Amino acid sequence: MQSVSLFVAIALRQARRDRQLVSKRLLLNEDEDISMETIPADQVRVKQKIFCDIYVFFYLPFFSQENSMHLLVSFLTGSNTQCRLHAIRCLHELSHSPHPSVAPTCLPATSYLLTYLSGQSTKFTELCLYTLGNLIPDSDVVKEKLLAQGIIPALASCIENQRHHLAVVEAASFTLSQLLQAKDAAETIMSKVLVSTLPSQLLSVLTPDPQFGLAPAIECAWCLHYMACSQNGKELLACGALSKCSSLLWSLGCAVREGNQDEGLELLVCPLLRCVGNLLSFCPANSLTDQVGDVKLVVALSAFVQAYIHSRPALARESAWVLNNLTAHSTDFCSALLTHNLVPALIQSLAFSEGINTMILRVLANIANKKKEFCVELVQQGLLSSLCATLKMADAEMVTLSLEVLFMLVSRRPLPRSGLQTRSRCLQRIKVCSTLHGTKQNSVNTQPETHLAQQQGQCGAER
Amino acid sequence: MIMRAGQNQPAAAREEQQKSEIPFNFTSQIVHLHKDHSLFEVGDVNRHLYLQDLYVCETDAPNPAVSVSQFACHISGCSAVFIALEEYEHHYNSLHRHVCCSCRRSLPSARLLDIHIQEWHDSLFTILAQRQDMYQCLVEGCGEKFRTSQHRKDHLVKIHKYPPDFRFDKPKKDKRAKETTRLQQKDTEMEVTEEVCDSEGVCEVLCDVLCHHPESGESMEMHVSEKEANGMTNHASGTEQSSEPPRPEYFNRVPRTVCFGHGSVRGFRGRRGRRK
Repeated sequence: MQSVSLFVAIALRQARRDRQLVSKRLLLNEDEDISMETIPADQVRVKQKIFCDIYVFFYLPFFSQENSMHLLVSFLTGSNTQCRLHAIRCLHELSHSPHPSVAPTCLPATSYLLTYLSGQSTKFTELCLYTLGNLIPDSDVVKEKLLAQGIIPALASCIENQRHHLAVVEAASFTLSQLLQAKDAAETIMSKVLVSTLPSQLLSVLTPDPQFGLAPAIECAWCLHYMACSQNGKELLACGALSKCSSLLWSLGCAVREGNQDEGLELLVCPLLRCVGNLLSFCPANSLTDQVGDVKLVVALSAFVQAYIHSRPALARESAWVLNNLTAHSTDFCSALLTHNLVPALIQSLAFSEGINTMILRVLANIANKKKEFCVELVQQGLLSSLCATLKMADAEMVTLSLEVLFMLVSRRPLPRSGLQTRSRCLQRIKVCSTLHGTKQNSVNTQPETHLAQQQGQCGAER
Repeated sequence: MIMRAGQNQPAAAREEQQKSEIPFNFTSQIVHLHKDHSLFEVGDVNRHLYLQDLYVCETDAPNPAVSVSQFACHISGCSAVFIALEEYEHHYNSLHRHVCCSCRRSLPSARLLDIHIQEWHDSLFTILAQRQDMYQCLVEGCGEKFRTSQHRKDHLVKIHKYPPDFRFDKPKKDKRAKETTRLQQKDTEMEVTEEVCDSEGVCEVLCDVLCHHPESGESMEMHVSEKEANGMTNHASGTEQSSEPPRPEYFNRVPRTVCFGHGSVRGFRGRRGRRK
């Protein structure tokens, strides 16, 4: 089973690299046969999905006939509400199929689905939303038609009117996220979304409901992430997105630090991290503390790095990325890392690969880059001995960054009693290290490398 | 930088030049990532799995993905990689510390390196050695000196109980021996490989099997050749040695003065003499 899941993961990663990762959601029928109660829930879902796929495979040719879809639409819009429900389920299951002819087949029904979004039957609306969400990535024709017919204002009204029905809100956010992932979303869709009430509504849903759970917040967070990825995302700052996402991250960070074992917290942490990370790039340095709020956010981010470094290293890396963006141009946030005693744990993380250590080293470099006093503190907390190890790593970027940090630490320390001579000797040594690192591939004579090792040893000894 | 009149200008100019030569230019940067960035790959796949109801929350499953960063030996030509810093340091200290820059042989200590350089790469030594005892005993504190490396070797074996094939006491091969081996090459169809010393490799010294006159107390090569000679003459078909008149010694085996160095892959790779 493990090898199968590994294979699936590899296949999905490749699909993502090929920009062909299309996610569809299947809303399973809860009014199922009672005989299924004895079977574990996840097995039931698997069985239903398999059944759905088989069903679609056999019946798709039938529905491809124009008359057949016409018949289905007539049930969908007819006076018999039970028939409507069956029809929408049928359409929904069709939409979940990855078969390429599904979207054109369902095209005649889409305008009706859109109309029903402003209806009052929550279950029906939910199914319509997921059906539309599944069809959008499959076909540009469907997407263009829906945009022309006003899907964005329709989604905005839907969320507003149904905000007490979190299942509908979740479905609407999912559909919006499918729209926002389109290749040309930045040009065509983003501007429409930003002028609507959607950003503020998404932000209001962001705080998870304790009873309903994380799901609606997760969908909203993903929508915000896709918006923040584009250059138009800076408009989100005006809605207070950075502040809201940061405070939510802070709460989640506290929960993680306390060892909260809630399943799936990381599903919300991930898109929030990305929002904050990208929104920070739009935020002017002088208003950073205002926008983000408390500098203690660094505590939450460090907690994520430590909590996920073994179980979810990619998430730990994203947390480190946000830390880099926070500390790049802000002395306050750098100082907070020192005052909250977070640096030793960061230094420990320098041992790990998967891109974590390079990002962490950037954070430490940001700190060293700010002030002489920070350099002194970093040295006191043991950064030099770690640099002696990182200088020997196989990753070229790590070695380069280590040299940069070492240079900053040495050149910015207050002068020792021996004065200029010691400093210039140290700088000479570091320069030698850097030159040798840069020309290591071309060097023939081993003696300089021996010299390099001696420099490294001596650099470590000089504290 | 403003230079005051009367200041030591060359020193100040030097420092200015030093500063401009410094290649360090780290600047803090905010990184904005687009939605398809590779850093987001794993999270996107997890999101996909979540939407497909296939997401697994459990964190106690062993994760093979997280790994410790590797250390790599930075010596050019050495591609060794290590998981632990201690392994790397051991490797470096063992192999790259006392290396002769002329011939790239690695010696285990500074003293042996000094002796090696003196005996192998110092022409003054060669001249002096013709007239006086120059080969010093390898045992630190002994202080004895000898006229030839063979005498030293005998001393090491008899007095200090060293093995006769001590790896760090190979005498240098001289030009005469090179010519001799070329002659041998023609006769016995062997090839001399002129490869670079690999200080870590096993000494692949293989020599001419056609040894008739074993000498006592010789180095490893001789022992090997003797055994192989005994073995091979039984198998060799139409071997010329038995039928031809006895040749001078140096045509039939690797001379004493031929040294392949510690761990060198330079050596004869004769088809007959090859150990399989």
